[in-house]
Amino acid sequence: MSYILEAKDLRKQYPDKLALKGLNLQLAPGEVFCLLGQNGAGKSTTINLFLGFIEPTAGAAFINGLEVASNALKIKQYLAYIPENVLLYPHLTGLENLSLLSSLAGFKYRESELRDYLGQAGLPAEAMARRVGTYSKGMRQKVGIASAVAKHAQVLLLDEPTSGLDPKASNEFSELLRQLSGQGTAVFMATHDIFRAKEVGTRVGIMREGELVDVRPTTALNTNELEQLYLTYMQ
Amino acid sequence: MLTSIAQKEFISTLRDRRFVGLSLLVLGLLLAATLVGRRGYAALQQERAAAQHTVNEQFAHQPGRHPHRVAHYGSFAFRPKSGLSFLDVGIDSFTGAAVYLEAHQQNSVNFSPAQQAGSLIRFGELTVAFVLQALVPLLIIFLCFSAFTEERETGTLRLLLSQGATMRQIAWGKIRGYSQAVALVVGPALGLAAALLFAAGSPARGLDLGLRLGLFGLGYAAYFFVVIVGAVVVSARQQHARSALVLLLGCWMLGCVILPKITANLGAHFYPATTKAQLDAEVHAETQRGIDGHNPHDAHVAAITAALLRKYHVASEKELPVSVNGIVMAEGEAYSSRVYQAHFAALNRTYARQNALADWAGWLNPYQAIRPLSMGLVGSDFAHYVHFQQAAEAYRYQLVQRLNGLQTRMGYGDKERRLGAATWQNIAPFAYQAPPVGWALPALLGPALALLAWVIGLSWLGLKLVERTPL
Repeated sequence: MSYILEAKDLRKQYPDKLALKGLNLQLAPGEVFCLLGQNGAGKSTTINLFLGFIEPTAGAAFINGLEVASNALKIKQYLAYIPENVLLYPHLTGLENLSLLSSLAGFKYRESELRDYLGQAGLPAEAMARRVGTYSKGMRQKVGIASAVAKHAQVLLLDEPTSGLDPKASNEFSELLRQLSGQGTAVFMATHDIFRAKEVGTRVGIMREGELVDVRPTTALNTNELEQLYLTYMQ
Repeated sequence: MLTSIAQKEFISTLRDRRFVGLSLLVLGLLLAATLVGRRGYAALQQERAAAQHTVNEQFAHQPGRHPHRVAHYGSFAFRPKSGLSFLDVGIDSFTGAAVYLEAHQQNSVNFSPAQQAGSLIRFGELTVAFVLQALVPLLIIFLCFSAFTEERETGTLRLLLSQGATMRQIAWGKIRGYSQAVALVVGPALGLAAALLFAAGSPARGLDLGLRLGLFGLGYAAYFFVVIVGAVVVSARQQHARSALVLLLGCWMLGCVILPKITANLGAHFYPATTKAQLDAEVHAETQRGIDGHNPHDAHVAAITAALLRKYHVASEKELPVSVNGIVMAEGEAYSSRVYQAHFAALNRTYARQNALADWAGWLNPYQAIRPLSMGLVGSDFAHYVHFQQAAEAYRYQLVQRLNGLQTRMGYGDKERRLGAATWQNIAPFAYQAPPVGWALPALLGPALALLAWVIGLSWLGLKLVERTPL
């Protein structure tokens, strides 16, 4: 089976800390993997390694079969990244932000096409030509999702995407992820939100002190059991 | 990709009220400096032209006189302002505007605006060059100091990189976007300068001035590019906007205030210039050893008289077809002129050495590369001043020698006679033609190359540093 995202004995040693202790992980297209863990557990380091922002100390990360470290630029065409707080460019409108991000990925769209992508992501039409500085966090997340869709990304890397979102915005966000997953996009999401992980994830992993200590299909346990499991590992 | 990033920076900049406010202020200053400078230039030019006309008329309408009396009456040469000097007054405020042309003496150019102005001139003048050299870089610093730090702090840098852009591409896009924004501030002022220039100039002179203005604009474009690249690189290498701002302001202070002062002081220390009193004393002492045309007992005069008697095979001065006094005056003038020329040349060499040190500093400091380039292109630098000084001296020398020639041809007893008033009207008045840009360029090659080195060096090294900057 070919994996869209893969980690083989991935290890990252910082001068003062071993951040990742030999991660092994595979994601198939359409899979939603939620990585749970406390702050400093190694979730963001994992995402940074997949993005090629930092180099592994040992092992390798792969996107669509390409080793990230030696193809740092090429692998960017397959993935989209949405950080915890998508600030975007406050002086530009939603349309202008999306146009910029798409053009950096090599796609030039007409305004009507940009509006379609933003509409698909759930951004109200009246907000599209407004400056992003006036947007809520949820609206900015939608522009981020629209940029991933417009880029035809095969992998979505999300770093705490629902933190700070109100329940309605979180629900809308989950729905968007489900849609993308249904279209074959693999999602790797680092989160603290156990409820959301259970709701949108196909698999859930628990990371502690740089080690992936448990991986379960979300169908194998309910939210309470997942919470108990998580708390057990965190003790 | 570069175009998209550049466009983003340009649009964001135009929508940033802080930048718009600052830009309007700088643009207002530039336009005001251009208009006020042009007005001042026109007034000064008119005054000098009127003064030159008056002294020419006075010279031409002298009554019947002895030629040597006319040589002592003398004339004035007024230095016309360069057509572009309203953009950069250079050293014009401190060099003189008029030189008194008389027999036996090479006077220095006097009546500088600084001599006639109050002590406030020490604080500098608001000129287009001052705004371009010192204030626009400040505007650029405030525009660019957070170019990368803000992206890093808000996380948008990671977003751009995740889309497939490289640090180098982002940096170049930013440089291009900021350059467009700066052009929007500076462009109108240079456009206004060009309009003012071509609305009033003659086509022939206009071509030279147009070329000078074009190179002036090109020089400043290179200077601003260096400042923009520098600011973007510093922003990329610093983790926080505040530290980038402090570092850039420190560089501005060092480049625009401290280093030029240090260089000027070093120049004066290593190549001290003779004071005017010293120069006058030395010239006086040396001319005393030459021919004194006014002293009939001068040994040189006796020798010249004897030589003339031999040449014309006559026994006494009375029989000579020429005036001994006229020939003695001509010889004396040639000698004193050589003495003056030698001393002025030595003094100019000292100033040139001081200026050369400042030119070399351009390799360390782009501000000190654009300054001589700017002054040289508008014609307000030391070289253009010396060109006028030498033209005035050449005219003085040929005028006095022509008068000495008239005296010589008057024969023995010339002192008792006068030449008619019409004689003076046949003498061409002083007419100064400033040198073309081609004349000025070789001397400006050093600063131009220094600026070019900054453009290439900083682009290469700076962008390499940006590329290697960790997230």
